[in-house]
Formats: sequence, C-alpha cells, structure tokens
Amino acid sequence: MTDDNPAGERAPAGGGPEAVPDGGLSPAETLRMIQRQQEAARDATEPDGRLLFGVWGLAWLIGYLAMWTTARDTGSPEGWAGWVLAGCIVGAMAFTIVHSVSRTAGTRGASARIGAMYGWTWFLGFTTFGVLIGAMGDAGAPSEVIAIAANGVACLIVGIMYIAGGLLFEENRMSAVGAWMLVTACLAAFAGMPNTYLVMAVAGGGGFLVMAVVEQGIRARRRSPRVTGRTPGGGRDA
Amino acid sequence: MPDELDPVIHAPARLRVVASLAALGHGDEVAFPKLRKLLDMTAGNLSTHLRKLEDAGYVRVTKTHEGRMPATYLALTETGRTAFADYQAALMDLLKGAQG
Repeated sequence: MTDDNPAGERAPAGGGPEAVPDGGLSPAETLRMIQRQQEAARDATEPDGRLLFGVWGLAWLIGYLAMWTTARDTGSPEGWAGWVLAGCIVGAMAFTIVHSVSRTAGTRGASARIGAMYGWTWFLGFTTFGVLIGAMGDAGAPSEVIAIAANGVACLIVGIMYIAGGLLFEENRMSAVGAWMLVTACLAAFAGMPNTYLVMAVAGGGGFLVMAVVEQGIRARRRSPRVTGRTPGGGRDA
Repeated sequence: MPDELDPVIHAPARLRVVASLAALGHGDEVAFPKLRKLLDMTAGNLSTHLRKLEDAGYVRVTKTHEGRMPATYLALTETGRTAFADYQAALMDLLKGAQG
C-alpha cells in the first residue's frame, strides 16, 4: 500500500533547492522506476494480449480436438463434441469481453474508440458467420460441406481481422499470424473430413498461441530502455 | 547535475504521474479515480501534483459529466510529452556520463 508513497508525500516541497536529489535515486534507478510505472499503467488500461490470445488458442485447441477425436471413428463429430467446442468459444468470448471492458474502463480517446470498434467488428463478423452456416444447413448442405465452410470461414475472419489489427496497432507480426490463419483456412478446406478438425486445432489454435508468444516479445521489447527514449512520431521500421 | 533535469517532472510523485500518462496513446485520457488507484495516492495529493503539472502546461484537465455525475479526465499535452522525452534523454545522458 505505502511502498513508495513516502517519497511522493515529500515531493510537493520539491522543485525547489537543487540540493535535494530525488530521494536518493540514481539515473538508472529512476529509469527503471519509469519503466515499472509505465508497465503498470498499461496493465491498468490495456487488455493483456497474451491472456486473450492464450485463451482463444486453448479454446480452439480443446474444442477442435474434441471434434477431431470423435469424427475419427464415425466420420462425423459426436454431438457432445459440438457442445464442447461451442462451450469453449462462448467461454473465450465471455472472458474477452469482461477482461477488455474492465481494463479499458475509465479511459477515453482514440485508442478506446478504435479498440471498441475492433471488438464490435469481431462480434459482428462471427454473428454473420453463424447466420451463414445456419442458412447452409437449412438449405440442405451436406455436413461435410458445412464443415469445410465453417472451418474455412472462421479462419478467414480471424486471418483478416489479424491483418487489420496489425495495421491498426502497427504490429507487423500480428499481420503475419493473420496471413498464417488464411493459409490454415486453405489447409482445413482440403484436409478432408476428420482431419480438417485436426488442422483447426493445431494450425488454428496454434496460431493464436503463437500470437500469445509474440505479445510476450512485444512486452519485452518495450521494457528495453532504448524504447523509452522514443522520438515523437518516430517510424521504427527503417 | 540536477539542474539539467526538469524540476516539474523530477519530483518522484509527479514523475510517476507523467510516466503513467505518457503510457497512454496520443489523444487518450484517463479518469481521475482510475489514475488515483493506479498511483495509489490520496485524492488531495494527486490533485496538488496535477495542478502543478497543469500550471506548467504539461497536463490537460477536462471536466465533464457522465450522466449526472461529474467526471475529470487527464491527459499529457504535447508540451508534456516533449518535456518527458527530454527528461528521459537527460537521464540517459547522466547514465552514460556515469558509465563513461
């Protein structure tokens, strides 16, 4: 609670006599303190990408593995596997919404607006996805065709949203994983009946988990002191 | 050489305020209670520091209403961002000087 407040309480008198050197902090300690504080500020105001991608990776991995293991014997997945997949997706969605809303509460401005629009686009995209797949079923499409469409379109949406996210948040690696998800869509489409689910679990779920690792890398890079001295408007991709 | 360091930012409590606000994106604002909780300061203490930073032109204070509740949002100005960048650059110079 009161870890570094005592120094803070003393500070109002500061700005005065040059003799008082910032409570004894050396330049290196001050820079570390700045980094810690900025990390805490980001944790309090931005969703943690590692958590979101990790949760989605696990949801796809578990859900599609259930579909694959039951489809291996009979040629099409068991009903309970469908419920496992649906439960994983709904759980990941609920987690994403609660986590993002609680982290960004109390902030406003361009980032909050863009983040909210980006989140809503995901929601609208997958709502449309559900309607399309349902309509295909109503029109009498065979289950294998529905499986190809459902798996391919899910990866298509994720791939395009990642590429768009990479552009929005200026993170090329996010776009690269998006491109990988588009490759996964093609692989899943041609993998055939039981194996299409294995592709979804390993390449699709794996793609999310790779993103979680990428996010970890981004954090580590932010932590390096070089980045804190960034120039305003600096393009770092030269 | 403390005289090279901006005295408005140099006070530890204000440095933490400025560092936190600088972590937000350009044009982003944070509500007073959220910032207070993040910094673990008392409301009075934080207000005092924010007034000094506002007087220096480093922080923009926006008072608004959310429904019927008054709300205060805080952001770093461009001047504040530049001052913070300069402050960090000065620290890095001191660090290099100490190592060299």
